[in-house]
Amino acid sequence: MNLAYFVAPLAVSGISAALAALISITDRIVNNYGEVTIDVNSGSKKLEVNGGANLLVTLAESGIFVPSACGGRGSCGECKVKVNSDVGPHLPTEIPYLDKDQIQNNVRLSCQVKLKTDIGIEIPEYLFKIKQYTGTVERIRDVTHDIKEVYFKLDDGQTVDFRAGQYGQIEVPPYDKVKDRTQRAYSMSSVPSDTNHVEFLVRLVPGGIVTTYVHDRLKEGEKMKVIAPFGEFYVRETDATMICVAGGSGMAPFKSIFYDFIEKDKMKDRDIWYFFGARTKKDLFYLDELEKMQNEHERFHFVAALSEPQPEDEWEGETGLITEVLGRYLKEEISQEKPKEGYLCGSPGMLDACMAVMREHGMTEDKIYFDKFA
Amino acid sequence: MKMSPEYSKAQANMQPGVITADGFLGDDKRPIVDIIADDEATMETLGVSFDEAVARMRHLMEEGRKGLEEPVTVDGNWIVRVSEARGFLPSPFEDGIFRKVNAQVELMQNGTPTGESVLYSELGMHLLEKYHFMQGVGAAFRMDPERLKRVLQL
Ligand SMILES: Cc1cc2nc3c(=O)[nH]c(=O)nc-3n(C[C@H](O)[C@H](O)[C@H](O)COP(=O)(O)OP(=O)(O)OC[C@H]3O[C@@H](n4cnc5c(N)ncnc54)[C@H](O)[C@@H]3O)c2cc1C
Ligand code: FES
Repeated sequence: MNLAYFVAPLAVSGISAALAALISITDRIVNNYGEVTIDVNSGSKKLEVNGGANLLVTLAESGIFVPSACGGRGSCGECKVKVNSDVGPHLPTEIPYLDKDQIQNNVRLSCQVKLKTDIGIEIPEYLFKIKQYTGTVERIRDVTHDIKEVYFKLDDGQTVDFRAGQYGQIEVPPYDKVKDRTQRAYSMSSVPSDTNHVEFLVRLVPGGIVTTYVHDRLKEGEKMKVIAPFGEFYVRETDATMICVAGGSGMAPFKSIFYDFIEKDKMKDRDIWYFFGARTKKDLFYLDELEKMQNEHERFHFVAALSEPQPEDEWEGETGLITEVLGRYLKEEISQEKPKEGYLCGSPGMLDACMAVMREHGMTEDKIYFDKFA
Repeated sequence: MKMSPEYSKAQANMQPGVITADGFLGDDKRPIVDIIADDEATMETLGVSFDEAVARMRHLMEEGRKGLEEPVTVDGNWIVRVSEARGFLPSPFEDGIFRKVNAQVELMQNGTPTGESVLYSELGMHLLEKYHFMQGVGAAFRMDPERLKRVLQL
Protein backbone atom coordinates (compact mmCIF):
# COMPACT_ATOMS: atom_id res chain seq x y z
CA MET A 1 0.00 0.00 0.00
CA ASN A 2 1.28 3.44 -0.83
CA LEU A 3 1.19 5.26 2.48
CA ALA A 4 2.44 8.44 0.84
CA TYR A 5 -1.19 9.19 0.07
CA PHE A 6 -1.87 9.83 3.66
CA VAL A 7 -0.80 12.92 5.43
CA ALA A 8 1.31 11.48 8.20
CA PRO A 9 0.58 13.85 11.06
CA LEU A 10 -2.93 13.04 12.05
CA ALA A 11 -4.80 16.27 11.92
CA VAL A 12 -7.66 16.42 14.25
CA SER A 13 -8.18 19.93 15.42
CA GLY A 14 -11.30 21.54 14.08
CA ILE A 15 -15.01 21.51 14.49
CA SER A 16 -16.95 18.50 15.67
CA ALA A 17 -17.52 15.57 13.37
CA ALA A 18 -20.94 15.49 15.01
CA LEU A 19 -22.07 18.07 12.48
CA ALA A 20 -21.35 15.79 9.57
CA ALA A 21 -22.94 12.94 11.47
CA LEU A 22 -26.16 14.91 11.95
CA ILE A 23 -26.51 15.64 8.25
CA SER A 24 -25.88 12.06 7.33
CA ILE A 25 -28.27 10.70 9.94
CA THR A 26 -31.11 12.76 8.45
CA ASP A 27 -30.26 11.45 4.98
CA ARG A 28 -30.14 7.90 6.23
CA ILE A 29 -33.64 8.18 7.70
CA VAL A 30 -35.02 9.50 4.41
CA ASN A 31 -33.14 7.05 2.14
CA ASN A 32 -32.70 3.50 3.29
CA TYR A 33 -29.49 2.16 1.75
CA GLY A 34 -29.46 -1.13 3.69
CA GLU A 35 -26.36 -2.94 4.89
CA VAL A 36 -23.05 -2.59 3.03
CA THR A 37 -19.62 -4.14 3.53
CA ILE A 38 -16.40 -2.18 3.87
CA ASP A 39 -13.37 -4.31 3.04
CA VAL A 40 -10.39 -2.68 4.74
CA ASN A 41 -6.89 -3.44 3.42
CA SER A 42 -7.83 -6.42 1.25
CA GLY A 43 -9.54 -8.53 3.86
CA SER A 44 -7.62 -7.39 6.94
CA LYS A 45 -10.97 -6.20 8.34
CA LYS A 46 -14.52 -6.55 7.01
CA LEU A 47 -17.08 -4.15 8.42
CA GLU A 48 -20.83 -4.73 8.02
CA VAL A 49 -22.37 -1.26 8.34
CA ASN A 50 -25.53 0.63 7.47
CA GLY A 51 -25.21 2.51 4.20
CA GLY A 52 -26.20 6.10 3.62
CA ALA A 53 -23.64 8.01 5.67
CA ASN A 54 -20.27 9.18 4.46
CA LEU A 55 -17.25 6.92 4.73
CA LEU A 56 -15.50 9.10 7.35
CA VAL A 57 -18.40 8.99 9.80
CA THR A 58 -19.18 5.32 9.15
CA LEU A 59 -15.57 4.33 9.80
CA ALA A 60 -15.58 6.38 13.02
CA GLU A 61 -18.77 4.62 14.12
CA SER A 62 -16.94 1.34 13.54
CA GLY A 63 -13.98 2.47 15.61
CA ILE A 64 -11.62 3.50 12.79
CA PHE A 65 -10.64 7.13 13.10
CA VAL A 66 -9.42 8.65 9.84
CA PRO A 67 -7.80 12.07 10.35
CA SER A 68 -10.09 15.07 9.96
CA ALA A 69 -9.35 18.72 10.57
CA CYS A 70 -12.67 20.17 9.49
CA GLY A 71 -15.22 17.74 10.88
CA GLY A 72 -16.18 16.38 7.48
CA ARG A 73 -16.90 19.64 5.71
CA GLY A 74 -14.64 18.89 2.77
CA SER A 75 -12.45 21.85 3.61
CA CYS A 76 -9.26 20.35 5.04
CA GLY A 77 -8.29 17.53 2.69
CA GLU A 78 -6.99 15.44 5.60
CA CYS A 79 -9.40 12.49 5.40
CA LYS A 80 -7.84 10.81 2.35
CA VAL A 81 -8.49 7.13 1.81
CA LYS A 82 -7.63 4.98 -1.19
CA VAL A 83 -10.77 3.38 -2.59
CA ASN A 84 -10.45 0.15 -4.57
CA SER A 85 -13.99 -0.04 -5.91
CA ASP A 86 -16.17 2.19 -8.07
CA VAL A 87 -17.85 4.88 -5.99
CA GLY A 88 -18.44 7.27 -8.87
CA PRO A 89 -16.31 10.11 -10.16
CA HIS A 90 -14.45 12.54 -7.90
CA LEU A 91 -16.65 15.38 -6.70
CA PRO A 92 -15.72 19.02 -7.36
CA THR A 93 -15.23 19.37 -3.59
CA GLU A 94 -12.48 16.72 -3.66
CA ILE A 95 -10.44 17.85 -6.64
CA PRO A 96 -8.62 20.82 -5.03
CA TYR A 97 -7.12 18.55 -2.35
CA LEU A 98 -5.83 15.79 -4.65
CA ASP A 99 -2.88 15.67 -7.01
CA LYS A 100 -2.87 13.91 -10.40
CA ASP A 101 -1.47 10.66 -9.00
CA GLN A 102 -4.01 10.54 -6.23
CA ILE A 103 -6.89 11.12 -8.64
CA GLN A 104 -5.59 8.37 -10.91
CA ASN A 105 -5.29 5.98 -7.96
CA ASN A 106 -8.80 6.79 -6.76
CA VAL A 107 -7.70 8.39 -3.52
CA ARG A 108 -10.83 10.06 -2.13
CA LEU A 109 -11.82 12.42 0.64
CA SER A 110 -13.64 9.96 2.88
CA CYS A 111 -16.02 12.64 4.12
CA GLN A 112 -17.23 13.18 0.55
CA VAL A 113 -17.81 9.51 -0.30
CA LYS A 114 -21.32 8.37 0.43
CA LEU A 115 -21.69 4.67 1.20
CA LYS A 116 -24.32 3.18 -1.04
CA THR A 117 -22.81 -0.19 -2.03
CA ASP A 118 -20.01 -2.51 -0.90
CA ILE A 119 -16.62 -0.86 -0.98
CA GLY A 120 -12.92 -1.72 -0.62
CA ILE A 121 -10.50 0.76 0.95
CA GLU A 122 -6.85 0.99 1.93
CA ILE A 123 -5.67 2.81 5.03
CA PRO A 124 -2.40 2.80 6.99
CA GLU A 125 -2.27 0.14 9.69
CA TYR A 126 -1.49 2.69 12.42
CA LEU A 127 -5.04 4.02 12.19
CA PHE A 128 -6.22 0.77 13.78
CA LYS A 129 -4.45 1.77 16.99
CA ILE A 130 -6.54 4.90 17.41
CA LYS A 131 -9.40 4.27 19.78
CA GLN A 132 -12.12 6.20 21.49
CA TYR A 133 -11.97 6.11 25.28
CA THR A 134 -14.36 7.29 27.93
CA GLY A 135 -12.84 8.76 31.01
CA THR A 136 -13.58 10.62 34.20
CA VAL A 137 -11.76 13.80 35.12
CA GLU A 138 -9.81 12.84 38.22
CA ARG A 139 -7.93 16.10 38.81
CA ILE A 140 -7.82 19.64 37.43
CA ARG A 141 -4.97 21.89 38.52
CA ASP A 142 -3.95 25.42 37.56
CA VAL A 143 -0.30 25.30 36.57
CA THR A 144 -0.23 28.96 35.43
CA HIS A 145 -2.79 31.75 35.21
CA ASP A 146 -3.91 30.43 31.78
CA ILE A 147 -2.90 26.75 31.67
CA LYS A 148 -4.77 23.91 33.35
CA GLU A 149 -3.46 20.41 33.88
CA VAL A 150 -6.31 17.95 33.36
CA TYR A 151 -5.86 14.33 34.44
CA PHE A 152 -8.37 11.72 33.22
CA LYS A 153 -8.88 8.20 34.44
CA LEU A 154 -10.05 5.89 31.68
CA ASP A 155 -13.20 3.98 32.58
CA ASP A 156 -13.67 0.24 33.08
CA GLY A 157 -10.14 -1.03 32.86
CA GLN A 158 -9.51 0.60 29.46
CA THR A 159 -5.84 1.17 28.70
CA VAL A 160 -4.20 3.47 26.19
CA ASP A 161 -1.06 2.60 24.25
CA PHE A 162 0.86 5.64 22.96
CA ARG A 163 4.36 6.95 22.37
CA ALA A 164 5.51 9.83 24.52
CA GLY A 165 4.98 13.00 22.46
CA GLN A 166 1.78 11.96 20.69
CA TYR A 167 -1.54 13.70 21.08
CA GLY A 168 -5.18 12.87 21.69
CA GLN A 169 -8.45 14.54 20.92
CA ILE A 170 -10.82 15.54 23.67
CA GLU A 171 -14.49 16.06 23.07
CA VAL A 172 -16.57 18.57 25.00
CA PRO A 173 -20.37 18.51 25.14
CA PRO A 174 -22.66 21.27 23.77
CA TYR A 175 -22.87 24.31 26.08
CA ASP A 176 -24.26 27.85 25.87
CA LYS A 177 -24.61 28.66 22.19
CA VAL A 178 -22.46 25.72 21.13
CA LYS A 179 -24.99 23.17 19.86
CA ASP A 180 -22.72 20.27 18.95
CA ARG A 181 -20.04 18.22 20.58
CA THR A 182 -16.63 19.68 19.70
CA GLN A 183 -13.25 18.00 19.47
CA ARG A 184 -9.76 19.50 19.67
CA ALA A 185 -6.24 18.07 19.74
CA TYR A 186 -4.07 18.16 22.90
CA SER A 187 -0.65 16.62 23.44
CA MET A 188 -0.62 13.99 26.15
CA SER A 189 1.59 15.03 29.05
CA SER A 190 1.23 11.83 31.05
CA VAL A 191 3.82 9.09 30.91
CA PRO A 192 2.85 6.20 28.58
CA SER A 193 3.30 3.62 31.37
CA ASP A 194 0.35 5.21 33.20
CA THR A 195 -1.87 3.29 30.79
CA ASN A 196 -5.21 3.93 32.44
CA HIS A 197 -4.78 7.71 32.62
CA VAL A 198 -4.16 10.53 30.18
CA GLU A 199 -3.15 14.04 31.12
CA PHE A 200 -3.35 17.22 29.05
CA LEU A 201 -2.15 20.81 29.51
CA VAL A 202 -4.82 23.14 28.16
CA ARG A 203 -4.05 26.79 27.57
CA LEU A 204 -6.99 29.19 27.50
CA VAL A 205 -7.66 30.74 24.08
CA PRO A 206 -9.87 33.81 24.45
CA GLY A 207 -13.21 33.09 22.75
CA GLY A 208 -12.18 29.46 22.11
CA ILE A 209 -14.91 26.80 22.22
CA VAL A 210 -13.05 23.94 23.90
CA THR A 211 -10.59 25.88 26.05
CA THR A 212 -13.39 28.07 27.47
CA TYR A 213 -15.27 24.91 28.39
CA VAL A 214 -12.23 23.31 30.00
CA HIS A 215 -11.30 26.45 31.93
CA ASP A 216 -14.76 27.63 33.03
CA ARG A 217 -16.95 24.55 33.22
CA LEU A 218 -15.10 21.27 33.35
CA LYS A 219 -15.33 19.74 36.82
CA GLU A 220 -13.57 16.89 38.57
CA GLY A 221 -15.77 13.77 38.34
CA GLU A 222 -17.12 14.74 34.92
CA LYS A 223 -17.17 12.16 32.10
CA MET A 224 -15.24 12.95 28.91
CA LYS A 225 -14.40 11.28 25.63
CA VAL A 226 -10.82 11.01 24.44
CA ILE A 227 -9.66 9.69 21.07
CA ALA A 228 -5.99 8.71 20.88
CA PRO A 229 -3.17 8.32 19.97
CA PHE A 230 -2.35 10.57 17.02
CA GLY A 231 0.78 12.14 15.60
CA GLU A 232 4.34 11.68 14.51
CA PHE A 233 5.97 13.72 17.27
CA TYR A 234 8.04 11.29 19.29
CA VAL A 235 11.72 10.78 19.99
CA ARG A 236 13.78 9.14 17.24
CA GLU A 237 15.95 6.31 18.56
CA THR A 238 19.44 7.67 17.91
CA ASP A 239 22.19 9.02 20.15
CA ALA A 240 22.11 12.52 18.63
CA THR A 241 21.96 15.45 21.06
CA MET A 242 18.32 16.44 21.54
CA ILE A 243 17.61 20.15 21.27
CA CYS A 244 14.08 20.56 22.64
CA VAL A 245 12.28 23.89 22.59
CA ALA A 246 8.84 24.71 23.96
CA GLY A 247 6.66 27.52 25.17
CA GLY A 248 3.29 27.55 26.98
CA SER A 249 1.31 24.34 26.67
CA GLY A 250 4.10 23.07 24.39
CA MET A 251 5.52 21.73 27.67
CA ALA A 252 3.05 18.81 27.47
CA PRO A 253 4.76 16.34 25.12
CA PHE A 254 8.17 17.02 26.73
CA LYS A 255 6.86 16.22 30.19
CA SER A 256 5.74 12.87 28.84
CA ILE A 257 9.00 12.29 26.94
CA PHE A 258 11.32 13.12 29.86
CA TYR A 259 9.46 11.03 32.43
CA ASP A 260 9.33 8.17 29.92
CA PHE A 261 13.12 8.48 29.51
CA ILE A 262 13.62 8.43 33.27
CA GLU A 263 11.46 5.32 33.66
CA LYS A 264 13.34 3.57 30.88
CA ASP A 265 16.71 4.71 32.26
CA LYS A 266 17.51 6.51 28.99
CA MET A 267 18.53 9.86 30.47
CA LYS A 268 22.13 8.68 30.59
CA ASP A 269 22.20 7.68 26.91
CA ARG A 270 22.28 11.08 25.19
CA ASP A 271 22.61 14.80 25.80
CA ILE A 272 19.33 16.61 26.14
CA TRP A 273 18.91 20.37 26.13
CA TYR A 274 15.44 21.64 27.00
CA PHE A 275 14.74 25.33 26.32
CA PHE A 276 11.49 26.74 27.68
CA GLY A 277 10.47 30.31 26.87
CA ALA A 278 8.00 32.43 28.80
CA ARG A 279 7.26 36.09 29.28
CA THR A 280 7.38 36.48 33.05
CA LYS A 281 7.80 34.13 35.98
CA LYS A 282 4.05 33.66 36.26
CA ASP A 283 4.12 31.96 32.84
CA LEU A 284 6.69 29.40 33.99
CA PHE A 285 5.68 26.07 35.50
CA TYR A 286 7.10 22.73 36.61
CA LEU A 287 10.29 24.65 37.46
CA ASP A 288 11.08 22.63 40.58
CA GLU A 289 10.48 19.32 38.81
CA LEU A 290 12.70 20.26 35.88
CA GLU A 291 15.48 21.60 38.10
CA LYS A 292 15.37 18.39 40.10
CA MET A 293 15.58 16.44 36.84
CA GLN A 294 18.64 18.48 35.87
CA ASN A 295 20.32 17.85 39.22
CA GLU A 296 19.69 14.11 39.05
CA HIS A 297 20.61 13.53 35.41
CA GLU A 298 23.98 14.76 34.29
CA ARG A 299 23.21 14.83 30.57
CA PHE A 300 19.90 16.68 30.95
CA HIS A 301 20.10 20.49 30.78
CA PHE A 302 17.14 22.75 31.44
CA VAL A 303 17.25 26.38 30.27
CA ALA A 304 14.29 28.61 31.10
CA ALA A 305 14.28 32.06 29.53
CA LEU A 306 12.07 35.04 30.34
CA SER A 307 11.51 37.66 27.68
CA GLU A 308 10.14 40.30 30.06
CA PRO A 309 11.08 39.45 33.65
CA GLN A 310 9.37 41.71 36.18
CA PRO A 311 11.27 43.25 39.14
CA GLU A 312 9.23 41.12 41.55
CA ASP A 313 10.30 37.98 39.64
CA GLU A 314 13.84 38.38 40.99
CA TRP A 315 14.89 36.39 37.93
CA GLU A 316 18.50 35.35 37.69
CA GLY A 317 18.16 33.02 34.73
CA GLU A 318 18.39 33.66 31.00
CA THR A 319 16.54 36.63 29.54
CA GLY A 320 15.46 37.41 25.97
CA LEU A 321 13.36 35.72 23.35
CA ILE A 322 13.79 31.97 23.38
CA THR A 323 15.21 32.15 19.84
CA GLU A 324 18.02 34.45 21.02
CA VAL A 325 18.85 32.21 23.95
CA LEU A 326 18.72 29.12 21.74
CA GLY A 327 21.08 30.76 19.23
CA ARG A 328 23.51 31.68 22.00
CA TYR A 329 23.59 28.16 23.42
CA LEU A 330 23.92 26.54 20.00
CA LYS A 331 26.92 28.76 19.35
CA GLU A 332 28.65 28.74 22.70
CA GLU A 333 27.47 25.94 24.99
CA ILE A 334 26.42 22.91 23.00
CA SER A 335 29.01 20.66 21.41
CA GLN A 336 29.43 21.43 17.70
CA GLU A 337 30.86 17.98 17.05
CA LYS A 338 27.94 15.73 17.90
CA PRO A 339 24.96 15.30 15.55
CA LYS A 340 21.81 17.07 16.72
CA GLU A 341 18.06 16.57 16.46
CA GLY A 342 15.52 19.31 17.05
CA TYR A 343 12.22 18.74 18.85
CA LEU A 344 9.82 21.68 18.84
CA CYS A 345 6.44 22.27 20.41
CA GLY A 346 4.70 25.62 20.65
CA SER A 347 2.95 28.19 18.51
CA PRO A 348 3.57 28.03 14.75
CA GLY A 349 5.36 31.40 14.98
CA MET A 350 7.76 30.03 17.58
CA LEU A 351 8.29 26.89 15.52
CA ASP A 352 9.22 28.87 12.40
CA ALA A 353 11.57 31.15 14.31
CA CYS A 354 13.31 28.25 16.10
CA MET A 355 13.67 26.32 12.86
CA ALA A 356 15.43 29.32 11.33
CA VAL A 357 17.87 29.52 14.27
CA MET A 358 18.52 25.78 14.11
CA ARG A 359 19.20 25.96 10.38
CA GLU A 360 21.58 28.88 10.92
CA HIS A 361 23.54 26.62 13.26
CA GLY A 362 23.86 23.80 10.79
CA MET A 363 20.92 21.64 11.83
CA THR A 364 19.01 20.16 8.92
CA GLU A 365 15.24 20.26 8.53
CA ASP A 366 14.91 16.49 8.17
CA LYS A 367 16.22 16.19 11.74
CA ILE A 368 13.85 18.77 13.23
CA TYR A 369 10.59 17.27 14.47
CA PHE A 370 7.27 18.88 15.37
CA ASP A 371 3.56 18.24 14.90
CA LYS A 372 3.18 19.34 11.31
CA PHE A 373 -0.50 20.01 11.58
CA ALA A 374 -0.06 22.13 14.64
CA MET B 1 -30.89 41.31 -1.17
CA LYS B 2 -31.37 37.67 -2.21
CA MET B 3 -28.68 35.25 -1.07
CA SER B 4 -27.10 32.45 -3.10
CA PRO B 5 -27.08 28.98 -1.49
CA GLU B 6 -23.34 29.49 -0.78
CA TYR B 7 -24.02 32.64 1.21
CA SER B 8 -27.05 31.13 3.00
CA LYS B 9 -24.85 28.19 4.07
CA ALA B 10 -22.14 30.60 5.20
CA GLN B 11 -24.65 32.61 7.23
CA ALA B 12 -25.78 29.39 8.95
CA ASN B 13 -22.15 28.50 9.69
CA MET B 14 -21.63 31.97 11.17
CA GLN B 15 -24.15 31.43 13.97
CA PRO B 16 -22.72 31.20 17.49
CA GLY B 17 -21.49 27.77 18.40
CA VAL B 18 -21.17 26.37 14.87
CA ILE B 19 -17.55 27.21 14.06
CA THR B 20 -16.63 29.61 16.85
CA ALA B 21 -18.20 30.08 20.27
CA ASP B 22 -19.66 33.53 19.57
CA GLY B 23 -20.09 33.34 15.81
CA PHE B 24 -19.34 36.04 13.27
CA LEU B 25 -22.47 38.16 13.39
CA GLY B 26 -22.64 39.75 16.85
CA ASP B 27 -26.08 41.29 17.33
CA ASP B 28 -26.48 41.91 13.60
CA LYS B 29 -29.64 40.34 12.21
CA ARG B 30 -29.08 41.42 8.59
CA PRO B 31 -28.38 38.88 5.84
CA ILE B 32 -24.63 38.80 5.21
CA VAL B 33 -25.01 40.12 1.67
CA ASP B 34 -26.50 43.30 3.16
CA ILE B 35 -23.73 43.58 5.77
CA ILE B 36 -21.22 43.24 2.93
CA ALA B 37 -22.98 45.76 0.66
CA ASP B 38 -23.23 48.36 3.45
CA ASP B 39 -19.57 47.95 4.42
CA GLU B 40 -18.46 48.11 0.78
CA ALA B 41 -20.31 51.39 0.41
CA THR B 42 -18.69 52.77 3.58
CA MET B 43 -15.22 51.68 2.44
CA GLU B 44 -15.79 53.41 -0.88
CA THR B 45 -16.88 56.64 0.83
CA LEU B 46 -13.79 56.43 3.02
CA GLY B 47 -11.63 55.92 -0.04
CA VAL B 48 -10.11 52.70 1.30
CA SER B 49 -9.72 49.61 -0.85
CA PHE B 50 -10.07 46.13 0.61
CA ASP B 51 -6.78 45.05 -0.94
CA GLU B 52 -4.97 47.94 0.68
CA ALA B 53 -6.50 47.15 4.07
CA VAL B 54 -5.64 43.45 3.84
CA ALA B 55 -2.06 44.20 2.71
CA ARG B 56 -1.51 46.44 5.78
CA MET B 57 -3.12 43.87 8.10
CA ARG B 58 -0.95 41.11 6.70
CA HIS B 59 2.20 43.21 7.06
CA LEU B 60 1.39 44.02 10.68
CA MET B 61 0.60 40.39 11.48
CA GLU B 62 3.85 39.21 9.90
CA GLU B 63 5.90 41.78 11.80
CA GLY B 64 4.00 41.12 15.03
CA ARG B 65 4.67 37.39 14.77
CA LYS B 66 8.36 38.11 15.24
CA GLY B 67 7.61 39.05 18.85
CA LEU B 68 6.75 35.39 19.58
CA GLU B 69 3.57 36.41 21.42
CA GLU B 70 5.14 39.54 22.97
CA PRO B 71 4.05 43.03 21.89
CA VAL B 72 6.33 44.62 19.28
CA THR B 73 6.47 48.12 17.86
CA VAL B 74 6.04 48.08 14.09
CA ASP B 75 7.21 50.94 11.82
CA GLY B 76 7.12 53.26 14.84
CA ASN B 77 3.32 53.53 14.42
CA TRP B 78 1.75 50.46 15.95
CA ILE B 79 2.09 48.12 18.89
CA VAL B 80 1.23 44.67 17.62
CA ARG B 81 0.71 41.56 19.68
CA VAL B 82 0.18 38.33 17.79
CA SER B 83 -1.00 35.27 19.68
CA GLU B 84 -1.47 31.83 18.26
CA ALA B 85 -3.17 28.61 19.24
CA ARG B 86 -2.14 25.50 17.40
CA GLY B 87 -4.64 24.10 14.96
CA PHE B 88 -6.96 25.35 12.26
CA LEU B 89 -10.46 26.74 11.93
CA PRO B 90 -12.66 26.23 8.85
CA SER B 91 -14.02 29.20 6.94
CA PRO B 92 -17.81 29.63 7.21
CA PHE B 93 -17.82 29.63 3.39
CA GLU B 94 -16.25 26.15 3.57
CA ASP B 95 -13.42 27.21 1.28
CA GLY B 96 -10.40 26.43 3.41
CA ILE B 97 -8.96 26.22 6.90
CA PHE B 98 -7.03 28.94 8.70
CA ARG B 99 -4.64 29.16 11.60
CA LYS B 100 -5.94 30.42 14.92
CA VAL B 101 -3.69 33.46 14.82
CA ASN B 102 -4.89 36.74 16.30
CA ALA B 103 -3.32 40.18 15.88
CA GLN B 104 -4.14 42.97 18.31
CA VAL B 105 -2.97 46.21 16.69
CA GLU B 106 -2.85 49.44 18.68
CA LEU B 107 -2.18 52.80 17.06
CA MET B 108 0.59 55.02 18.45
CA GLN B 109 0.91 58.77 18.10
CA ASN B 110 4.25 60.47 18.71
CA GLY B 111 5.54 57.27 20.23
CA THR B 112 2.64 56.95 22.71
CA PRO B 113 -0.09 54.28 22.54
CA THR B 114 -3.48 55.88 21.77
CA GLY B 115 -5.58 53.10 23.28
CA GLU B 116 -7.38 52.61 19.98
CA SER B 117 -6.96 49.14 18.51
CA VAL B 118 -8.30 46.50 16.17
CA LEU B 119 -8.35 42.74 16.66
CA TYR B 120 -8.34 40.36 13.72
CA SER B 121 -7.45 36.79 12.90
CA GLU B 122 -6.05 34.99 9.88
CA LEU B 123 -9.57 33.77 9.10
CA GLY B 124 -10.90 37.34 9.45
CA MET B 125 -8.40 38.55 6.85
CA HIS B 126 -9.51 35.84 4.44
CA LEU B 127 -13.18 36.82 4.85
CA LEU B 128 -12.26 40.44 4.25
CA GLU B 129 -10.10 39.78 1.22
CA LYS B 130 -12.25 37.26 -0.58
CA TYR B 131 -15.79 38.26 0.43
CA HIS B 132 -15.42 41.84 1.73
CA PHE B 133 -17.07 40.49 4.87
CA MET B 134 -16.13 42.60 7.88
CA GLN B 135 -18.39 40.62 10.29
CA GLY B 136 -21.63 41.69 11.96
CA VAL B 137 -21.95 44.71 14.22
CA GLY B 138 -21.17 43.66 17.80
CA ALA B 139 -19.02 40.67 16.78
CA ALA B 140 -15.75 40.48 18.75
CA PHE B 141 -13.79 40.19 15.50
CA ARG B 142 -15.78 42.87 13.60
CA MET B 143 -13.48 44.99 11.44
CA ASP B 144 -15.34 48.27 11.45
CA PRO B 145 -14.40 50.31 8.31
CA GLU B 146 -13.93 53.66 10.09
CA ARG B 147 -11.90 52.17 12.90
CA LEU B 148 -9.84 50.16 10.42
CA LYS B 149 -9.03 53.31 8.46
CA ARG B 150 -8.03 55.21 11.61
CA VAL B 151 -6.02 52.51 13.32
CA LEU B 152 -4.30 51.15 10.23
CA GLN B 153 -3.66 54.66 8.88
CA LEU B 154 -5.17 53.84 5.47
C1 LIG C 1 -1.40 18.48 17.15
C2 LIG C 1 -1.95 19.53 18.07
C3 LIG C 1 -1.63 19.48 19.41
C4 LIG C 1 -2.12 20.47 20.28
N1 LIG C 1 -1.80 20.40 21.61
C5 LIG C 1 -2.24 21.35 22.44
C6 LIG C 1 -1.88 21.30 23.85
O1 LIG C 1 -1.18 20.41 24.32
N2 LIG C 1 -2.37 22.28 24.65
C7 LIG C 1 -3.15 23.31 24.16
O2 LIG C 1 -3.57 24.16 24.96
N3 LIG C 1 -3.50 23.36 22.85
C8 LIG C 1 -3.07 22.40 21.99
N4 LIG C 1 -3.45 22.45 20.67
C9 LIG C 1 -4.41 23.49 20.23
C10 LIG C 1 -5.84 22.99 20.44
O3 LIG C 1 -6.10 21.88 19.61
C11 LIG C 1 -6.90 24.06 20.11
O4 LIG C 1 -6.71 24.52 18.79
C12 LIG C 1 -6.83 25.25 21.05
O5 LIG C 1 -6.90 24.81 22.39
C13 LIG C 1 -7.98 26.23 20.78
O6 LIG C 1 -9.21 25.55 20.81
P1 LIG C 1 -10.57 26.30 21.15
O7 LIG C 1 -11.69 25.38 20.79
O8 LIG C 1 -10.57 26.84 22.52
O9 LIG C 1 -10.53 27.55 20.17
P2 LIG C 1 -11.38 27.75 18.83
O10 LIG C 1 -12.79 28.05 19.17
O11 LIG C 1 -11.15 26.60 17.91
O12 LIG C 1 -10.67 29.00 18.18
C14 LIG C 1 -10.67 30.29 18.75
C15 LIG C 1 -10.00 31.21 17.74
O13 LIG C 1 -10.78 31.28 16.55
C16 LIG C 1 -10.63 32.53 15.91
N5 LIG C 1 -11.95 33.19 15.86
C17 LIG C 1 -12.95 33.09 16.77
N6 LIG C 1 -14.00 33.84 16.37
C18 LIG C 1 -13.65 34.42 15.20
C19 LIG C 1 -14.31 35.32 14.32
N7 LIG C 1 -15.53 35.77 14.54
N8 LIG C 1 -13.63 35.74 13.21
C20 LIG C 1 -12.39 35.31 12.95
N9 LIG C 1 -11.72 34.46 13.75
C21 LIG C 1 -12.34 34.01 14.86
C22 LIG C 1 -9.68 33.32 16.74
O14 LIG C 1 -8.38 33.15 16.22
C23 LIG C 1 -9.84 32.68 18.14
O15 LIG C 1 -8.72 32.89 18.96
C24 LIG C 1 -2.96 21.49 19.79
C25 LIG C 1 -3.30 21.51 18.43
C26 LIG C 1 -2.81 20.56 17.58
C27 LIG C 1 -3.20 20.60 16.13
S1 FES D 1 -12.66 15.81 6.92
FE1 FES D 1 -11.90 17.64 6.14
S2 FES D 1 -11.98 17.31 4.02
FE2 FES D 1 -12.80 15.52 4.79
